[in-house]
Amino acid sequence: MTSGIEALRKDYGSSIATLAGALAAGDEHLFLSELDLLVHKRERTLFSELRKLTGDLQSALDRFSVDSRLVDLAEKEVPDARARLDHVLKMTDEAAHRTMDLVEQCGPLAERTSRSAGDINEMWARFRARKIEIEEFRVMIQKMDAFLVASRADMDKVRGNLTEVLMAQGYQDLSGQIIRGVMKLVAELETALVDLVRLSRTGPGALPVEKPAPSDGMSRGFGPAVPGVDNGPSASSQDDVDSLLAGLGM
Amino acid sequence: MSKDMKFLVVDDFSTMRRIIKNLLNDLGYQNVQEADDGQTALPILQAGGIEFLVTDWNMPGMPGLDLLKAVRSDPKLAKLPVLMLTAEAKREQIIEAAQAGVNGYVIKPFTAVTLKEKIDKILEQRAA
Repeated sequence: MTSGIEALRKDYGSSIATLAGALAAGDEHLFLSELDLLVHKRERTLFSELRKLTGDLQSALDRFSVDSRLVDLAEKEVPDARARLDHVLKMTDEAAHRTMDLVEQCGPLAERTSRSAGDINEMWARFRARKIEIEEFRVMIQKMDAFLVASRADMDKVRGNLTEVLMAQGYQDLSGQIIRGVMKLVAELETALVDLVRLSRTGPGALPVEKPAPSDGMSRGFGPAVPGVDNGPSASSQDDVDSLLAGLGM
Repeated sequence: MSKDMKFLVVDDFSTMRRIIKNLLNDLGYQNVQEADDGQTALPILQAGGIEFLVTDWNMPGMPGLDLLKAVRSDPKLAKLPVLMLTAEAKREQIIEAAQAGVNGYVIKPFTAVTLKEKIDKILEQRAA
């Protein structure tokens, strides 16, 4: 307490003495000008305190904003991102297996076509050279009949499988969209962490915290639905979409 | 339906553009142009000649919904058949697309049969 009084005496002692002297001497001008100086000095101290308080408040608000964003990221969005990446893993796994299944189905069909053609080819060469027996000619005709039927069916199957292989590559678009979303989240997490480090280092006067850019919502799209992650009603199949549109008169 | 019909396929993923283009070729449509978002698609559409638009929704630059709205608000393009082919499957999005004037909506992953059905249906309705 003594030190407080000492500080006040040091700051204001001479002014009070001047004021008392001016009052005793009846020097109105000196009294008023000294009083102005005293008030001004007091205001300066107040303003400086106020500025410090405002800075602290701003810093606390910034920290709160970073903290709450980080909490949100840590509690909701990072686990969501993990589920999204799991889904990507599942999609790429399924697409790779689907592609290989289809290729494996095509292999024996192509082989059978080639073998049967080769088989007929030998007899056909003898027929062209007019060195074929009538019985062998009959066998050749039967084989050719069977070959034409089988190869048509086999090649239809191969053609269908090729289309399926093409469709299976659609995983790249869907997984790409999900990975892009996770990359955006990682960038946001990085910004929040950098802001936190900057705030904890510098205190008042720190640079303002960058708020995440607001998403422009529906117009831009939400990306593929991920099981267990997306909220809100979604159409889960093309039939759902069709019945919804039919309900709208389309 | 004329197989010379000129398609524009808009998707930011080149793999998906290739898939759609190949499927259209399988269906007999050989005249297929590509664009990677609404911004690059719009000048191609405005230049004229495109008779069918197949577009994704979620794309950088101009998304498919904005492209659809731009098409519908351009008197020269307003009647162009538009098929939305997208992973966006929220009910409110499908309704929004319908209200913006989409002619068909297919969600990814899709099948070749679904794409064919939707294109045929749109073209039948146009012809009627």
